[in-house]
Amino acid sequence: MRLKSGIYSAILASIVLVFVFSQTDAQEKFKLKPGAKGKVCITCHADFQEKLKSLYVHTPVKTGDCTGCHSPHASSHGKLLAADPNRICFKCHSKILPDSAVSSHKVVSEGNCVKCHDPHATNNRFVLLKPGNDLCFGCHKSLGDSISKVKFKHSPVQKGCTVCHNPHASARGPHLLKEEAKTLCLQCHKTDKGSFASRHMGYPVAKGRCTTCHAPHGSDAGGLLYANVHKPVANKQCSQCHEAPTSSNPFATKKAGYELCKGCHSAMVNDTFNKNRIHWPVVSNKGCSSCHNPHASPEKGLLKAPMLGLCGNCHADTIARQQKSQTKHPPISEGNCTACHSPHSSDNAFILNQASVIDLCGTCHDWQKHSTHPIGEKLRDPRNKNLFVQCLSCHRSHGTENKNFIYFAQIGEMCTQCHAQYKR
Amino acid sequence: MKTRIITGIMVTVLLLPALVFGAATAKLRHVVSIYLDAKEGMINLPQGVAARGTLVVVADSANGRLLKYTFQEGILKGGDEIRVTEVSYPEQVAISSKNEIFVLDGKQRRIARIGAEGSFKGFVKAEGVPGTSDFMPMSFRLDNADNLYILDIFSARVLVLDPAGKYLKSADFPEQYGFISDVEVDFRGTVFLLDSVKSTVYSLARDAKEFTALTRSLKDDMNFAVNMAVDAKGFLYIGDQNGGGVVIIGPDGSYQGRQLGFGWKEGLLRYPAQMAFNEKEDFFIADRNNNRIQIFSLIK
Repeated sequence: MRLKSGIYSAILASIVLVFVFSQTDAQEKFKLKPGAKGKVCITCHADFQEKLKSLYVHTPVKTGDCTGCHSPHASSHGKLLAADPNRICFKCHSKILPDSAVSSHKVVSEGNCVKCHDPHATNNRFVLLKPGNDLCFGCHKSLGDSISKVKFKHSPVQKGCTVCHNPHASARGPHLLKEEAKTLCLQCHKTDKGSFASRHMGYPVAKGRCTTCHAPHGSDAGGLLYANVHKPVANKQCSQCHEAPTSSNPFATKKAGYELCKGCHSAMVNDTFNKNRIHWPVVSNKGCSSCHNPHASPEKGLLKAPMLGLCGNCHADTIARQQKSQTKHPPISEGNCTACHSPHSSDNAFILNQASVIDLCGTCHDWQKHSTHPIGEKLRDPRNKNLFVQCLSCHRSHGTENKNFIYFAQIGEMCTQCHAQYKR
Repeated sequence: MKTRIITGIMVTVLLLPALVFGAATAKLRHVVSIYLDAKEGMINLPQGVAARGTLVVVADSANGRLLKYTFQEGILKGGDEIRVTEVSYPEQVAISSKNEIFVLDGKQRRIARIGAEGSFKGFVKAEGVPGTSDFMPMSFRLDNADNLYILDIFSARVLVLDPAGKYLKSADFPEQYGFISDVEVDFRGTVFLLDSVKSTVYSLARDAKEFTALTRSLKDDMNFAVNMAVDAKGFLYIGDQNGGGVVIIGPDGSYQGRQLGFGWKEGLLRYPAQMAFNEKEDFFIADRNNNRIQIFSLIK
C-alpha cells in the first residue's frame, strides 16, 4: 500500500517537475521576468488575444511557448522564425511523413504546412485554414469543379476527401490513398452480394482494379463509370472479349494484342496496316491497350491518360524538350499530339499526318508558307545536297532551349550555317 | 642512370592516359557518305544499312528499294537498284555469308529473302516454334552462321531460327521492360536487347536462359535510342535517334563515351536508324533524316 502511494507520488512529482522545467526553460533562456512567459509577447501582439479565442489553438501557442517557433530577438528567417519555415514544423511533427511512404503530398514534403494549416489558431479541426473539402479544392480546383457538377456523386467524397485519402502521406497506397485502391473500395462495397455479382456479369472483379472502369470521385454515367465507356462494357458483353466468368482464367482475353480488337475494328486495323510506317506499340504484345483502356476512360477515344502524359510515357525526352523550350508550341504544350502525328500509322516520317512538312506546319502557320525565307523542293539545303529547305531546317518542332525553337542560341549562328559567306 | 630514370618516368606519364582511357577513346572518323544511286537518283529516308566483305546494301526506304554498293579501301562504288514487288517499304537489311539479302518490310512486317543476284526468294517462315509460329518482327539480325535473331514484339520474345527457318530457341523479354526496339548478336552468340523507354541494354549469354540488364539506365546519356550495332570486340554502338549521336558501351556494360552530334553536315546525324559494321570495322550509319548513309572508320 505504502509502495503504491510512493509510485503515485513519484509520477506526480515528475509531471510537476517537467511542467516547471518547461516553463523555466524559455524564462531562463531569455532571462524573462518571473511569470512573463506566455504573456510578454501578447503585450505587443494584442491582436493575438482574439486569435486565442479560436476553437482550435496550436499547442505551443496555447501554452504560451512562442519561442518554440520564434526567436524573440533576431533570426535569419522571416517572421523571426527559429528555423527554416519549410522545416520548422518537422521539429515536433517528425513522423508526419512515414519513412516508407508509397505516396506523399507535395506540399508536405516541401514543408509548406501553412498552405493548409494556420500555425496559431483557427476554428477548424487540426487548425486547418478551411473546413472540409473546401481546403483541398483550393488547389485541386478542377477536381472540385467536376465533383460539384457530376450527376452521380460518390458518397465518401461528399463526406470528405480524408475518408479515402491521408492528407500528409500514405504508407500503403498511391495518390495518398489510405490503402491500395482495391482494398479501400472493398471496405464499403461487399462483393459477396448477389447484386454486385450480377452487375459485373459474374466476373470476379474484386480481384481487379475498380478504378479501371469507375470514376472514384463521381461521374455523369450510371454506376460511376467513366464518361467514355467501351461499347461491350456498356452492353455488359464482357464475354465478347474475355473468357467465360466460370473459366479457370476469366480475365484472359480470347485473342492476343490487336487481334482481339480487330474483331470489331477491322476497318481501322486494316487501314493502320496499310501504311508504310506503323507505330510499333500497336503490334506489340499489349497491342491497342498500350494506349487505350479497353473498358472505360475519362479521355476521348478511351485513351489511358491525357495525351501529353500518355505519349510522354515513352517519349519523355520529347515532352521534356518542350517543357524546357523558351517558346511553347501549342499543340504540344496543350497535349494535342495528334494535331501533327497519326498515332497508329502513317506513310510519312515521324508518323506525321501529312507528307509535306511545309503543308503540315501551314495548317496553322498559313501565311508563313508564302511570306517567309524561301522554302520548298526547289531550294536545296547548302549543308546537305539531299535535303531541301523547309520549316525543320531552322526550327525543331518540339522545341529547343532557344527562342522560336531554333537550333542555335544566336540567330546569326543559325543563318551562317547556310550563308557561310557572312560568317565572322 | 639518372637520365634513364627521368626518361622512364616521362614515358610512363605520357602513356598513362592512353593506358587508362584507351578503351574510352574509340572515335569515329567520317570517310564518305552515300547520297545517290548509280543513276544519280537521291536516296530518301534510308532506314537500313548492312555490310559484309566489300558489299554494302542500303534500304532506301521512302523510295521502296534496295541499293547495292561496294566499299573497299575507302572507295565507294556502285549504287545499283534492287526492286522487288514483294517488298514495298524496306526498313532493315542484313547480308548472309552467301551474299543473300534479308530485308524487313516495315509495311508488311515480314522478313524477305533476296538472292545475291537480286531476285525475291520468299518470306522467312518459322517452323517448329513451340506455341505460335507467327511473329511480328520489329528488328532482326544474322549471326556468323546465318542464324536469324528476330525481335518478335507481338510475343515479347527473341526468336532464333536456323538459315532454313527451323526453330532453334527463343527467349522472353526481361520482366519490367519498357519498350524493346532492337536486337543484336555478337561474335560469342551473346544477344542484346535495346530498351528505348528505359534507356537500358539487356544481354543474354549464349547458354543463359533469361535476359539481364547489361547497363545502368542511360537516360542521362541519350534521349531516345532505337538502334544498335556491335563491333568485333563486343563494344556496343547505340544510336541516339532523337539526340543525334552514338553512345558506346563496353562489353561489360560500362559507358565508354558519346560520339557525333545532331546536325546536317557530314559527321553529324539527324535521326539515325540502322547501323552496321563490316569485318574491317568500317561503321555504317543510316542517317535517315539527312537522306544519306555515312561511313566512318573506327579509331581506337
